[in-house]
Amino acid sequence: MVFNEKITNPAELRHVQGRIELYWIYTSGEAGDVFFKKLRDEGKFTASKCRKCGHVFFPPRIYCEFDFSETEYMEISGEGCVLAFSVISYDSDGNRLEKPEIYALIGMDGTDGKIIHLLGEIEPENIETGMKVVPVLKPKDQREGKITDILYFKPVS
Amino acid sequence: MVERVRGIKFHKKQDVAIVGAGITLFRRRLNETGKELSYYAVKQALEEAGLDISDIEMVVMGSAPDAFDGVHMKGEYLLDGSGGSNKPYMRFFVGGGTGVFAPIAGYWHVASGLADVCLVVTEEKMSSSHPHPQSAFKYIWDPILDRPLNPNLIWIFALEMRRYMHVHNIKHEDIALVSVKNKANALDHPSAQLAAKITVEDVLNSEPMSLPVRRLDVSPPSDGASALIMVAPHIARQLTDEPVWVDGVGWALDTTWWTNRDLYFPRYVAEAAKMAYKMAHVTDPRKEIDVAEPYDPFDYKELHHMEGLGLARKGEAPILTREGVTARDGDLPVCPSGGLLGVGNPIAATMGVKVAELYWQLSYRAGKRQVAREVTTGVTQAWGDLMQVGTVVVLSNKR
Repeated sequence: MVFNEKITNPAELRHVQGRIELYWIYTSGEAGDVFFKKLRDEGKFTASKCRKCGHVFFPPRIYCEFDFSETEYMEISGEGCVLAFSVISYDSDGNRLEKPEIYALIGMDGTDGKIIHLLGEIEPENIETGMKVVPVLKPKDQREGKITDILYFKPVS
Repeated sequence: MVERVRGIKFHKKQDVAIVGAGITLFRRRLNETGKELSYYAVKQALEEAGLDISDIEMVVMGSAPDAFDGVHMKGEYLLDGSGGSNKPYMRFFVGGGTGVFAPIAGYWHVASGLADVCLVVTEEKMSSSHPHPQSAFKYIWDPILDRPLNPNLIWIFALEMRRYMHVHNIKHEDIALVSVKNKANALDHPSAQLAAKITVEDVLNSEPMSLPVRRLDVSPPSDGASALIMVAPHIARQLTDEPVWVDGVGWALDTTWWTNRDLYFPRYVAEAAKMAYKMAHVTDPRKEIDVAEPYDPFDYKELHHMEGLGLARKGEAPILTREGVTARDGDLPVCPSGGLLGVGNPIAATMGVKVAELYWQLSYRAGKRQVAREVTTGVTQAWGDLMQVGTVVVLSNKR
């Protein structure tokens, strides 16, 4: 170890390259099936309520993580309010984004749950914590039953 | 519900002392392999304790995601450099919380009476992964709900920082003071990667990454390793007149559904601290804790974690910082090591600036970093997994 040495390009060191060749198939599970089918086919949002303590989970789950009892599905509006937001300048690989993106933590009305998603149709300087937002979905024929079927949330006009 | 037996809780076979610690340089990229880094850290800890590797009975290894080193099951890979060959050896891993969790595992090895001399080694070589170690974090998210949105850690923390600022009406200037303090403290740390004399304005004018998070609010990725030696009382007495004792340990995890937490307060730290303080008989942390090393990968996280540790009331940590209470010569020095912001953030190896630093402070071996006030009890903490685990250790030099 050399105290004043600063390595900027590790490829100049003696090295070999490697990668792990795997890919994964992730299933959305029981509650995910209910949630995403309803979103894809009807454009509606589902939460689930604990039969014992009444905690309303969003996204829905088949169990209550606090008392381990079952839940029942319930339809919610899909609307919510912005609890926090961030203006993103870099993508996940550290590359600068041409146009910054805005992500928000959104508390979902009628639930104890929250979701993260993009904000759209608004400039960063006009966003306020606590503002009401509604989801904007892809057209029905383009929906695949994925979280990206929600394009973004926009302010209530 | 079962009936509990009174007094059985936290029953231990023997007390646990720390008698030596080691830390390598923390750097963005190092030529040394993870095994070699581990070796250097262990060698230093053995020297400080006055022990030989043959004295070590059991070895605890802490290292974070395999994806950094790019070696699957890297605990096994790191075995020889950690001094674990042909010994009881196990790797522990709770993401970023590992740096304080590995010594907790070391504690129960000794407290249970299974070992009298246990070596704890932590290692991270983040620079092996390309294009950027940040990419490894893409794969900690829920694959159905989160990952299609391309989240990365920095923007998740940006949401948390914004929530913390909003709930308590805290200004970025107040948060930036943490970065200024820790990077300056790191000037006295021989391992430091990002020690610097900077100003609040430098932080506020640094490059926006994921607003409100800017470049100088963040700790760097690093390579490095650290080591600790934990022993039973009868061993400690043979080695030193000034052992540092582990008074309490605690850990807790908040829900994996991170969007279902209120991000302004780290409940996982509060729960972990409750356990550790109970074990250590600490009832009023603000009065009884003399020095603290909370986890500071971001400047706001130091404040967040101070509140979780009960060192400040909710929303009060920025005020204590502004008033100089948390400075190295303050009434409650916080991150006198320079922390992750100043020394570097080789995930699990941050044990060297958290638990090891506290040990050096409480044994009055911290040299130029030694805090001004008299110290008997300190607390240190880390945080990780899906931003949900709190790991807490309380150390003391009195018995």
